[in-house]
This record gives sequence, C-alpha cells and structure tokens, in this order.
Amino acid sequence: MKVKVLFFGVLAEVTGTNFKHFRDVKSIGDLKLRIQDDFPEVVHYNYRISLNNEIINNDPKLKDGDEVALMPPFAGG
Amino acid sequence: MVTNYLINGPITQKVISCFLEKMGEKTDSGGHSVFLGQVRADEINGKKVTAIEYSAYEGMVMVEADKIKATILSEFEDAKSIDIVHSTGIVKAGELSLFVLVSAGHRHQAIHACSKTVELIKEKLPVWKKEIFDDDSHEWKR
Repeated sequence: MKVKVLFFGVLAEVTGTNFKHFRDVKSIGDLKLRIQDDFPEVVHYNYRISLNNEIINNDPKLKDGDEVALMPPFAGG
Repeated sequence: MVTNYLINGPITQKVISCFLEKMGEKTDSGGHSVFLGQVRADEINGKKVTAIEYSAYEGMVMVEADKIKATILSEFEDAKSIDIVHSTGIVKAGELSLFVLVSAGHRHQAIHACSKTVELIKEKLPVWKKEIFDDDSHEWKR
C-alpha cells in the first residue's frame, strides 16, 4: 500500500519537497515516525495533519491511496 | 481564471468586474458587501515587504470554502450568495490577494456576513504566506 504525504508552507521549504510517497504505513502515528526519520527537521515545527482533506486529531488507520497533508498554521486572507 | 476559489497571481479589476457585473441578476438582494484584501508593504526589522507568495492546499480549499459558505448562509438568514477568490503565487505590495462578495436582502446582514466570511477565511482556509523583502530575503508569516 502507498500513501501520499503533502508538505505545505515552511514544511515544504525545510523538507525540500512538496510531497513524498510512503509505503506500508499502518496508521498516522506510524507515518509520523517514518516522516521524522526522513525529515528530522519537521519536529521543530507546529503543524496539523489532514487525511483526505479532513483535519484529524486521532490516530486513524491508513489505506492505499490515502492523502495526508502536514499543515503549519494557516495564514490566508 | 478563477478555479475552485483560487487564482494564480493578483486579483485584478477585470476579475472583480466579472463578479460585480452579475450583481444585477440577484434581484432578491438589496445590499452587496465587498472586502478586498491587499498586500501591505510592512516594514519588519528594517526590511520592507515587496510581495507575498501564497501557497494553498487546493483540494482542501474547495472543501473548506464550501463549508464557510454553508456556515454563513445558515447563520445569516438574509444572505443570498457568497463569492470568494484567493490568490496563489506572487502578489506584490499594493496588489489584491483576497476578494469576498456577499449579497443579502438587506445591508446589515450583507455587511456582517461579509465580515464573518473574512474571519472564517483567515481561520479555516489552508493557505500559507511567504513574505518577500526588499533585500530578497523571505519569512513565513504566521
């Protein structure tokens, strides 16, 4: 299985990428650990996580094709 | 061209005119309230903002902007329609980056619904700003 992780705002700058695919991740918690392995600098920033365009606060299971976004505080308007 | 609430670059007079031209079709409305957000040439630590680069999570902008419109229409019974346009990409100081138009039966709800819409956009829309300074440095706005 494969999920797509999107990086926005300052996170896109510090990771050097707008997105990355991760394979065989079971849950959001699992995914966060894998992201921190690849991009250790991410831990220094505040961000919220969305799963398929919905902000989440828990640790749902992931399935193939899911889209996860790491979003620093919004600054629109 | 506006696609799913977003436009690349500044919001031009032409874009605004397109929305204003349609106001006459809303014959159930007695008041229209417009907000225009502009990039301000702030001075920060001796450096001047020359532009802002906006980025957005486009799929989620669609979802959240739809929710904002539903919230406003539910909260303001007299509101008839809401139009939202937000820039992505580079917008220079003095150029416009946000357009909100609320039409309502009467002026009070048009004005207050427009104000509430702007506040919800600032709170809920997944958009990020990178301030670009006159020395070519930049800083992410929080």
